[in-house]
Amino acid sequence: MDYRLNLAMRMLANKRGSLMGAVLAVSIGILVIHVNFVIFQGIYDAIIRDMTDYRFGDIYITHEEDSTIERSHLVYTNWFERVPIIQAATPRLSGSADIEFRNAGQENEEFDVPVVGVDPVTDVQASTIHTTISDGQYVYARNSIVVGETVSQDLGGIRVGDNIKLKITNQWGVEESKRFMVTGISKTAGGQGFDTSVIIHIDTLRSMLDRPNESNSIFVKLNEKNPDGAKEVKKQFLAAYANDELKVQTIEESAEATLKGFRSGIAMINLIGYFGMMSSAFAIVVIQMMLVNNKTKEIGVMRAIGAKRKDILIIFIFQGMIIGMCGAGVGTGFGLVYTTYAKITNMQFEGSLALEVNYNWEKIGQTALIAFGLAVVASLYPSYRATKLQPVEAMRTV
Amino acid sequence: MDNVSLSIKRGEFVLIVGSSGSGKSTLLNMIGLIDRPTSGRIILDNTETTQLNDNQISQFRNKKLGFIFQFSNLLQDLSVLENVMLPQQIQENSPNIIKKAKQLLVKVGLEDQIPKRANKISGGQAQRAAVARGLINNPAIVLADEPTGNLDSVTAANIVKLMKDMAKEFNQTFIVVTHDRQQFPDVDRVITIKDGRSFEGEQPEMELIA
Repeated sequence: MDYRLNLAMRMLANKRGSLMGAVLAVSIGILVIHVNFVIFQGIYDAIIRDMTDYRFGDIYITHEEDSTIERSHLVYTNWFERVPIIQAATPRLSGSADIEFRNAGQENEEFDVPVVGVDPVTDVQASTIHTTISDGQYVYARNSIVVGETVSQDLGGIRVGDNIKLKITNQWGVEESKRFMVTGISKTAGGQGFDTSVIIHIDTLRSMLDRPNESNSIFVKLNEKNPDGAKEVKKQFLAAYANDELKVQTIEESAEATLKGFRSGIAMINLIGYFGMMSSAFAIVVIQMMLVNNKTKEIGVMRAIGAKRKDILIIFIFQGMIIGMCGAGVGTGFGLVYTTYAKITNMQFEGSLALEVNYNWEKIGQTALIAFGLAVVASLYPSYRATKLQPVEAMRTV
Repeated sequence: MDNVSLSIKRGEFVLIVGSSGSGKSTLLNMIGLIDRPTSGRIILDNTETTQLNDNQISQFRNKKLGFIFQFSNLLQDLSVLENVMLPQQIQENSPNIIKKAKQLLVKVGLEDQIPKRANKISGGQAQRAAVARGLINNPAIVLADEPTGNLDSVTAANIVKLMKDMAKEFNQTFIVVTHDRQQFPDVDRVITIKDGRSFEGEQPEMELIA
């Protein structure tokens, strides 16, 4: 082993307090970034997950200019069925309705709710919104309705089996009314699903809106998460239906538009984490300066017996590297323990959705590397100061 | 120092004596290239050292000079063996270093203390280890600054004997600074420093160069 590395290790080992302080400073910086990542990136990913599962799928198709797609959805869903990486594609139609409910002879005050029309057969293949039914079951008949939890509460506590009436004004301005039987109550963590909407059969909604065969969107789900695959499918789909004026977005694109502000927030919080890391670098400078001051005599002896300035510099840079390695190791270890804990416990905050916790190895490695690099950079100044000690002055320190 | 001029032959065992503050340690530091004179020249082993740059001085100190300090100045973080090996390791990391260091430690009577940490041995043992460290690179000149100043008389006598034995065995020049002339009864030459000037012999009667 190089004697300078040996000496650097021994010096640190005999100053355990300083070593632990410096390692702790580095590891806390890393831990802050890990916690930030798990919480804020976890929330972001969870929102994306739920947006993918409930609202947009992996690929989301709308009309470029109009609010509806007039061409039959079957043209498109049949095309998607032939693509091996596609799990399912389903049409959706949305509108709004006045909702009316008579509870124990008392009629509620009518209010406006968003209505989502779904194809019960293909929707359960493409989306997981049906799994959010906390009570009852999903839409299965023309007259069945799933009510969002918030709507249910606003109506004074609707239960499965109750009857409600929807009044919808169709595209010609004519009001259409229809009675539905509540088959389920939908509830999602963080309200990312259709908690503030009602879900009915798409054909019923088409009929009430007098928009036969029309849809607002096509929701496409891939077999597994595959951003590159989604992009390729999008490209081929657009080529196949170039004249249909369709707008095709992958989830990344849909989410980007919706969560732009959130992403900026994450970047800001990560920046705070990196500032924390930089302040730990200052702690290393202070601790290493103390080490240099404590070792003045030893530096003098080393210089007297022939060590060059470069050798002294290397000894203290080795110390910075050791601190950086230990700090990065300990910090990453703590960070992984926290991440694993968050993953195992499906960490969530009250009323919020469960965090989507992922081990982002690139990010973990990058953070550890930055912490290590900062520790080495932080050791440069104390190391330089150590080399500036003249042996004759250093030897006077006893 | 003021107008000091002296010449020492290879293999001589020279004692520099003088009262406290007379400048004997400063002279030794200058010979050892730890301190630089403001003017004048220091020629060691046919090398004009005042022309050397910092790296060359370090290299020269490492290869040609051996140091024995008053308080041994072993590095407390290292073992006795590692301390002795250090000057050689600075030069090059050859596999024979351990063997050579161990042989030297046997010579100075520290075979039992080899693996111990430097702060776990007595002052006399530490000074013996310092002698071994000063000799590991076979330096042309060994400089000792009050090597017995911090030791009891028996241990001090042992160290003096050890240094003399080593000087004879390895034919090295020893320049020893001491304020206690009595501990070195039999040396080749004595130089007295008084008020920063050097004089041959124990009395400042004959000035070498004023």
